[in-house]
Amino acid sequence: MLNLLQSNFALESLEKFLSSMGFAAFFSEMGWGNLVMILIAFFLLYLAIKKEYEPMLMMTIAFGMLLTNLPGAGLFHEELFAGGHVHWGEFAHGAGLLDYLYLGVKLGIYPCLIFVGVGAMTDFGPLIANPKSFLLGAAAQVGIFATFLAAYAMGFTPEQAGSIGIIGGADGPTAIFLTARLAPELLGPIAVAAYSYMALVPVIQPPIMRALTTKKERQIKMSTLRQVSKKERILFPIVIASIISLILPDAAPLIGCLMLGNLMKESGVVDRLSKTVQNELMNIVVIFLGLTVGATATANAFLNPSTIKIMVMGVVAFGVASACGVLFAKLMNCFLKEGNKINPLIGSAGVSAVPMAARVSQKVGQEENPSNFLLMHAMGPNVAGVVGSAVAAGLLLSFLG
Amino acid sequence: MTNFLAVTWGWNEMIWCTVISIALVFAVLVLLVFVMKLFGVILAQKPERKLAKVAEKPISDEQLHEEQIAAITAALKLYKSALHDRESEVLTIQSLKRAYSPWNSKIHGLTQLPDRK
Repeated sequence: MLNLLQSNFALESLEKFLSSMGFAAFFSEMGWGNLVMILIAFFLLYLAIKKEYEPMLMMTIAFGMLLTNLPGAGLFHEELFAGGHVHWGEFAHGAGLLDYLYLGVKLGIYPCLIFVGVGAMTDFGPLIANPKSFLLGAAAQVGIFATFLAAYAMGFTPEQAGSIGIIGGADGPTAIFLTARLAPELLGPIAVAAYSYMALVPVIQPPIMRALTTKKERQIKMSTLRQVSKKERILFPIVIASIISLILPDAAPLIGCLMLGNLMKESGVVDRLSKTVQNELMNIVVIFLGLTVGATATANAFLNPSTIKIMVMGVVAFGVASACGVLFAKLMNCFLKEGNKINPLIGSAGVSAVPMAARVSQKVGQEENPSNFLLMHAMGPNVAGVVGSAVAAGLLLSFLG
Repeated sequence: MTNFLAVTWGWNEMIWCTVISIALVFAVLVLLVFVMKLFGVILAQKPERKLAKVAEKPISDEQLHEEQIAAITAALKLYKSALHDRESEVLTIQSLKRAYSPWNSKIHGLTQLPDRK
């Protein structure tokens, strides 16, 4: 009995257990950082659940952020991907669940699979009916390159600046695809910025659209789009994928997958595949992508002045992209005949964010003229923006990758 | 071929990269505009042209005589009056399962009616 009381075993065991607890790690050197990140994750979960800000990805990103910042859980190890490379040899020595899942981001698999689903859900009809929309999709990409320069001026490296600029493309998978290759250390903040601002499109865009257009311009009614034949719909993805991939091989993974999904939908002969990529495949990949991108937002990577700069640059990118779209639509009107003029409000839809940006054009247009239906017209630049941002990403990759 | 990784990036390179990239984005998408316009000309207008051709062709007197018109009209009348005399007794209403899409979403509708309770 005496021996039992004199033994330090119980005390030592208890001490060992207490020090192994996650709570203890909060009092270590970078422990406060983990605590702050957990609070940020809670806030993002609130935005996803209560405010429904892009909940599909925001919720999984926030939960990935929460898991990776729980001290001691060991779900994600930054050091396995240090220096922008996958250290395969280290994987055998205790890689966590999220490390394995992150390989899909690192190798550029998830964004492409998501693009297959996006392609199957996208109707390119308005773009085929009005090919001029491609120009508005191109104009909105100027925001990417303006931010590229601005980020460089703020002290980021060219690779990091390119990844920050792509936020202006308002296309989550493209932003993740490019950042994972050019600046993986910024993946967490860039993904959070991209998806946050995509959810805030209805807040960011309308003031810019109103400021750059007159009441008369906002009231322009556009002529009805022509019918698009099935043959055109089927040939569109085949031709676009071939042309863009031949011109820009770096954009081939994204454009190829986008057009594959669209061909599945439009051909009408692989209905089962089309439904699968739109639902099951897309949902599964969204879970993996969100969780692992969130997992990269560790305290070390996220809690630094760069994150604040990225958040600021993200708004600039979105704003400039929207403004360029609207201004280019106005410029196009100078060369179009009366009756063929386009409503400049559809220009802002050139920043991907499908179909949110097109809905914003419709809403702002109807505020001026309730009988004006711009939605289908805005869908043209909107889907052209997806193609445009993939092309821009391919270009940045070919220059900086 | 220039190895861009070997280039030391400064403001000159950044500005050139930006200008070339913007020009290339426009060039690629302008090319696509022309390709799609060509599509429209080749594929979309074909049926219209065919219809226009048929419409433009004048009907010659030899093609239809009054008796023939009367016979066709009478045949059509008889056919239409005979139609639906006997129902097939098969229900032809099909239930359609529509896959979800933001376009048919009532939650995301643009003209939501106020929810009066």
